[in-house]
Amino acid sequence: MSEHILEKLGAYLDDELNAREIQKVEQHLNECAICQEEYESLQSLSLLLAEAPLPDFPSPKDFSTNVALRLPRKSVATTRSKAMEIGWWMAPVGLLTAWIFIITTNLVGEILGAANRFGLVNLSDVLSTGSSTQTSWSATLSNFGLLGGSNLQWAQMLESFTRTTVPQMIFQISIAILYLSWMAIWWARHTRQEFGYALEN
Amino acid sequence: MTISTQTNESKLVSKAQNGDRNAFSELVHTHSQGVLNVVYRMCGNGDLAEDAAQEAFIQAWLRMSSYKEKASFRSWLYRIAVNAAIDMLRKEKRILPNTIEDLNLSDSRPGPEAMLASSERTELIREAVLTLPNASRAVLVLREYEGLSYQEIAESLEIPMGTVMSRLSYARKLLKEKLETHLFSYAEVENV
Repeated sequence: MSEHILEKLGAYLDDELNAREIQKVEQHLNECAICQEEYESLQSLSLLLAEAPLPDFPSPKDFSTNVALRLPRKSVATTRSKAMEIGWWMAPVGLLTAWIFIITTNLVGEILGAANRFGLVNLSDVLSTGSSTQTSWSATLSNFGLLGGSNLQWAQMLESFTRTTVPQMIFQISIAILYLSWMAIWWARHTRQEFGYALEN
Repeated sequence: MTISTQTNESKLVSKAQNGDRNAFSELVHTHSQGVLNVVYRMCGNGDLAEDAAQEAFIQAWLRMSSYKEKASFRSWLYRIAVNAAIDMLRKEKRILPNTIEDLNLSDSRPGPEAMLASSERTELIREAVLTLPNASRAVLVLREYEGLSYQEIAESLEIPMGTVMSRLSYARKLLKEKLETHLFSYAEVENV
């Protein structure tokens, strides 16, 4: 006789086995008293459970009327909520796009700057035009004789840092905070709405 | 469910998703008994079950836009119903029996006649089902009382088929232990 098939008996009882498996189980049940007894106990349990009656609930008509009376209005909100839903899902896409744009712009700028320094391209006109439109406070202070030598170099480095790196850092940190906030809200909504929390005891 | 019934239900669902209250009421009418059955078996109290079933339908109405036809509407609705029942139990802070001792299954009952008394036995069955963990109870209720297939249960609770089988097997094992005496007496009565 083959080994016991206790783990398949539930699926057999629930009619969840294919024809071949059913044949195997039935053949085994004819030969094995232990599995036969287990199967009968599962059948008895199923019958016993079915014995428990339902209380007198309202008829479907009365029940649906009661529910209808409690239904909140949402006809106007439907279109709006759809738009809100689309906006909600577009938010991370927008944030990621903004982040990629900033990174790309920065990268392209650095590549062009490096190419210009190595003489691969001549962008001195463009670069000098761009910088000339900006007011340089270090140059102004230098003109007044307030800065000079190494102090002027430090001031120029600081000015360059605050003009290029700091705004980028602020942008990227802001985007990261917004994105993480979106994920936290999504997670909170997901765990509350979907029912895993309730079903995991 | 026949194809025409399915089509009709799909139309009703679509209308309800666009805010049609009458279409939703028809869906409530169709599924009210199933939902009431599920929530009653989950929380074991008629009044709580009615409240939970109403709450389940209200939640379904509010979330209609999130329903996708990858699962049947019934499966989707039963998931909401199961959780409405669990939430209701939580809100009511109802203390469920935890152990076989709590159920008084092995106390000094008067005799076999009393043991076979239908109302007494059904009460014990109800309580025994309530002692199951929520996850296993949900699977058992959907299978034993609503006759959902393993696939439908998996869709409904968003769990893998293997988990459905293991939870169902676990629930049956616990129930057999809790109701052993009654199973034995039941089999005897059935054989008479």
